[in-house]
Amino acid sequence: MIRIPNIPESVVVKHGPKAWPLGLAGAGLLIIGSLLSWSFDPQVLGDLSISFNPGALQIMAIAQSVLAIILLLADKGPLTSFGEWADTALALRALATWALLFMALVLVAITVEAGGLVNIEPGGWISFLGAVLVFASSRLVLPRETRDLGHARLPDWSEILVIVILMAAILFGTAFALGLTDAWEFVLFLMVVTGVLITGVRAGLLTWLGHVTTRHKRVLMLAAFAVAFLFPFTQNGSDANMSIASQVLIFAAAAMGLNIVVGLAGLLDLGYIAFLGAGAYVGATMSTSAFATIGWKPPFIVVMLVGGCVSATLGLIIGAPTLRVSGDYLAIVTLGFGEIFRLTMFNLDGNNGPNLTHGPNGVPAIPDLTFGSFNFGDTHTLLGIPLARFSNYYFLLLLLIAFIILVFSRLNNSRIGRGWVAIREDEKAAEAMGVNVFGLKILAFVVGAFLAGLAGTIKAHQDVSVTPDQYIFLESAFLLAAIVLGGMGTVAGVLIGAVILKLLPEKLRFFADYRLLLFGLLLVLMMRFRPEGLVASRRRQLEFHEEDEELAVRVEGDIAEVVI
Amino acid sequence: MGIFDQQNLDTFVQQLVNGLTLGSLYALIAVGYTVVYGILQLINFAHGEIFMIGAFGALSTSLVLFRGQTALWVLPFMIIGAIIASVGTAVLMERFAYRPLRHAPRLAPLITAIGISVFLQELVRLNYNHVPFTSWNPFNLPDAKSRIPFPQIDVVTGPAFQIGGVTIQRSAIFTIGALLMCAALLWYFINRTKTGRGMQAVSQDADTARLMGINVDRIIVVAFAHGAVLAGIAGVAQGLQNNNIDFRMGFLAGLKAFTAAVLGGIGNIQGAVVGGLVLGVAEGMATQYIPGQFGGSPWKDVWAFVLLILVLVFRPQGLLGAKAVDRA
Amino acid sequence: MTVTAEAVGAKAPTGVPLLQAEGVIMRFGGLTAVNNVTMSVSEGEIVGLIGPNGAGKTTFFNCLTGMYKPTEGHVRLSGVELPPKPRAVVKAGMARTFQNIRLFANMTALENVMVGRYCRTSSGAFTSIVHGPKFRREEAETRERAQELLDFVGLGTSTDHLARNMPYGNQRRLEIARALATDPKLILLDEPTAGMNPLETRQASDLIFKIRDSGLAVVVIEHDMRFIFNLCDRVLCLVRGETLVEGTPDEVQSDPRVIEAYIGTGTDDDDEAGDTP
Ligand SMILES: Nc1ncnc2c1ncn2[C@@H]1O[C@H](COP(=O)(O)OP(=O)(O)O)[C@@H](O)[C@H]1O
Ligand SMILES: [Mg+2]
Repeated sequence: MIRIPNIPESVVVKHGPKAWPLGLAGAGLLIIGSLLSWSFDPQVLGDLSISFNPGALQIMAIAQSVLAIILLLADKGPLTSFGEWADTALALRALATWALLFMALVLVAITVEAGGLVNIEPGGWISFLGAVLVFASSRLVLPRETRDLGHARLPDWSEILVIVILMAAILFGTAFALGLTDAWEFVLFLMVVTGVLITGVRAGLLTWLGHVTTRHKRVLMLAAFAVAFLFPFTQNGSDANMSIASQVLIFAAAAMGLNIVVGLAGLLDLGYIAFLGAGAYVGATMSTSAFATIGWKPPFIVVMLVGGCVSATLGLIIGAPTLRVSGDYLAIVTLGFGEIFRLTMFNLDGNNGPNLTHGPNGVPAIPDLTFGSFNFGDTHTLLGIPLARFSNYYFLLLLLIAFIILVFSRLNNSRIGRGWVAIREDEKAAEAMGVNVFGLKILAFVVGAFLAGLAGTIKAHQDVSVTPDQYIFLESAFLLAAIVLGGMGTVAGVLIGAVILKLLPEKLRFFADYRLLLFGLLLVLMMRFRPEGLVASRRRQLEFHEEDEELAVRVEGDIAEVVI
Repeated sequence: MGIFDQQNLDTFVQQLVNGLTLGSLYALIAVGYTVVYGILQLINFAHGEIFMIGAFGALSTSLVLFRGQTALWVLPFMIIGAIIASVGTAVLMERFAYRPLRHAPRLAPLITAIGISVFLQELVRLNYNHVPFTSWNPFNLPDAKSRIPFPQIDVVTGPAFQIGGVTIQRSAIFTIGALLMCAALLWYFINRTKTGRGMQAVSQDADTARLMGINVDRIIVVAFAHGAVLAGIAGVAQGLQNNNIDFRMGFLAGLKAFTAAVLGGIGNIQGAVVGGLVLGVAEGMATQYIPGQFGGSPWKDVWAFVLLILVLVFRPQGLLGAKAVDRA
Repeated sequence: MTVTAEAVGAKAPTGVPLLQAEGVIMRFGGLTAVNNVTMSVSEGEIVGLIGPNGAGKTTFFNCLTGMYKPTEGHVRLSGVELPPKPRAVVKAGMARTFQNIRLFANMTALENVMVGRYCRTSSGAFTSIVHGPKFRREEAETRERAQELLDFVGLGTSTDHLARNMPYGNQRRLEIARALATDPKLILLDEPTAGMNPLETRQASDLIFKIRDSGLAVVVIEHDMRFIFNLCDRVLCLVRGETLVEGTPDEVQSDPRVIEAYIGTGTDDDDEAGDTP
């Protein structure tokens, strides 16, 4: 990572020295401005109108300036030892650009929301000026040679500490973001996060983090689960966000099951939602709802297994004849199967066949789960923090996801996983080398279906009612999109994809109407510009870039991969 | 009651006619899948939306230029409107979504197609009656969130013909006629024109064709455009038959047409026509003759999908094709 | 080291040849690519298969390995009839390489060879998920054996290289290692030196001798006459799908019909690196 600045000597003399004080001054102004009032109207964007009582957006601005100051001090000043490793100049440019955009958008937002430019108080203008100055200075800072951060190693304990801090930041950030009720605030927050991430990438920090996390995979896993576990405790008993969170988890669980089929075995399944649906219908019809049509009422754990097995059986029935069909055709066959499932559930109302599902009305009034005396519908208090209905489901789903992740990564790193890769690479050659191609495909299909079935039974209780229109083709497309967006064949990728696809629409209700439009566009753009997804498995990345020799050489060291 | 009694025969012929009408529609759309596949080995799953866009193109032409008049002379303009809309969409789609993915793994164009489908449906649903992000509706177009009535053109719609016990809708005659004409024109184009022969060359061996000086990119655009022309016409036919159109109409029609294309051997244009007709007739018969609770129209689409799966699994090379082998 | 400890142990009764192909016919529509070819291979033998391009050599391999179902004919290994299923053939002890290299490009060298071990291991989903004792044992064994084989073919230092990044000659070796990983009694090599320079070609013949010495029988398709005549115990010449001559290298070399077949079709080209069927 050696960057040799291609800038004439005269320029260095002329601009170099000015950048630094300019930047510090700008950052200072940005902080001062943010402590003052930004907006005349206290009603908009949280409350930005009281001096020395910064609102959420003002805190974000301050955070950005602190980051800018750190980068400047790493360039010249007490933190230069850090600056030797990280490419602070490039990072500062990214940060400054995003901070300027942020301030500009804040001013736009105030203008739009409060009705006119007059509503911006001097503090807003001061902060904006500060952002402009930081931006100007960042253009003057000169890039330097740095050492390769990818090779930097800290003592183990401090790397683990970094992971813990990172996870804490994620927990705090998520809780903070979910607490933002205003769509503008939410979008602006996303902008800051994006800006900071890009800054990290530019500085080389993200690559380094990638290495750190692969070095301490177990710690990362534990920390991630700890964060997920702690999340409900940040909600002060409010169930609104927990409802979204448990929806996200159901979706993520299903997406991860699908990722075994698509990401590992490379089979495109466009009817996967049917397996979730099969589980949900089993859960519903075997529940104690007055509308349940099956008399047998075993304990829920049995229902779950039945749901999984019914789903897996469907997977076997549809898979056995169809998995000989290749590629695109398989996608259509599975799509057809998904539609058959939905239509059948729609029709089995007693008039067009036996009454199993109550047709279009579905099975409503499914009661909450109970394990012994623990009722999922009740609020329980733990550590003085009340945890309501959705928190209960959230914890159960967390367990399920842990199980699915275990299945996913263990299978991936086994003889079976190698077989799947071989099939993806060259099916005929795999067969000629003795790989049981058909058996492995069926296995992926059945395991995927089983896991979706498990998730479905929980979903039935969480959603209270099960109807056919929850299982339309578009839902399968969404699941697929979570994988494509997040990254095929990785756990982290799918989780990110699920969060993006489920959380954003909930939070950005003002574009609710345009949700699907943007979704379609997103799929097209992803395939065009980053087909391997945001957090790509190395191998998948290679598969999508067959002609990129340089990439192949670059990632060779990482390919002996263990997927997180 | 004998099998050949008059009433049974009438029912049978009636279903045959219905099936052929439906089949003509499928065939018109199926050609689009097949032409593109023949040349690119790409299944353009978004083709159903091209059909839908065609229908909306025709509707817009009628509403904007002719205030929804139903005189027969409006029909040609509507067809032209449909063709412009669908061809325009198809060409843009090829240029900006598919072309960059020519050498990508097959998963990529497939997912792109899903994206395009959703995008186009939503575009029509949300923005048909106003310019995006405004509420400006210069031509007073109707809201496309639900079904929109389609202009019922004189002569080609109206009272049905009655032949014996069999009812033949006027629009059915239009649809079947459109298919016959399109098939003939297409045959002429492919076998008798230079571009058509270029298409054949590219579909046999794109690299060699390129070396022989054929502009492969142009041929691909032409293929997309051809499929779109027929899909646009199909959109008009569908509108005339059902009296209304909606933004979802492309999904099911597209899938069934795709089945038809596979049934006829994908890549084979005559096959697509045959496949469409066979599928249509099969569907008509299934609706009539599957007895009991699982028959009739609630299960109609289920049987169509079952047929789709059976065809793809047991006859992926189609009725006319031969089995392909992977060479080691 | 011996490559096939297990395979050698399972010796066929003496007298029965290891591989027996009888009257194999393969037709594609009107074209008869392989016409009534009979071949037998004994243990520890290196048999050469020559013939001009398009003679049907690769197709014959495909018939032997179950990748094509022969229109007519029988293939027996150690006296047992082989079904036309690639997996069963590999399991029975016959492995192959491909004329146009078909490695798993995005897997490392080691992983490629480990895939070859698939049919000799049996850990299922359950033991893989719970990391049961069987899984641990098999995984360790697979890894060890794969590394041994990489050393054997001379790729011991390329373990973690991606197959697609490896030089052409090494890819050919890797394909051989992958085939050896299935513990075959007989290995079929389809033009193992195509596109190689003279040095690499000599190394390849050394490797083939080494494989033979470890107790395997080898059938090798080649165009390079010098290569084949100094390597093989016996040579079969195919022309237009039919056996033209069979005999020792000297006999075949001096047969006027062979010379005519090659000169007549003008396809004695050693140079077809990018040759794909
Ligand atoms: N799957 C197939 N379908 C049709 N023809 C084939 C097939 N495989 C091979 N052939 C034909 O069989 C003949 C023999 O080919 P091949 O076995 O590859 O020759 P070679 O001796 O060069 O390896 C060729 O004419 C080839 O075109
Ligand atoms: Mg050959």
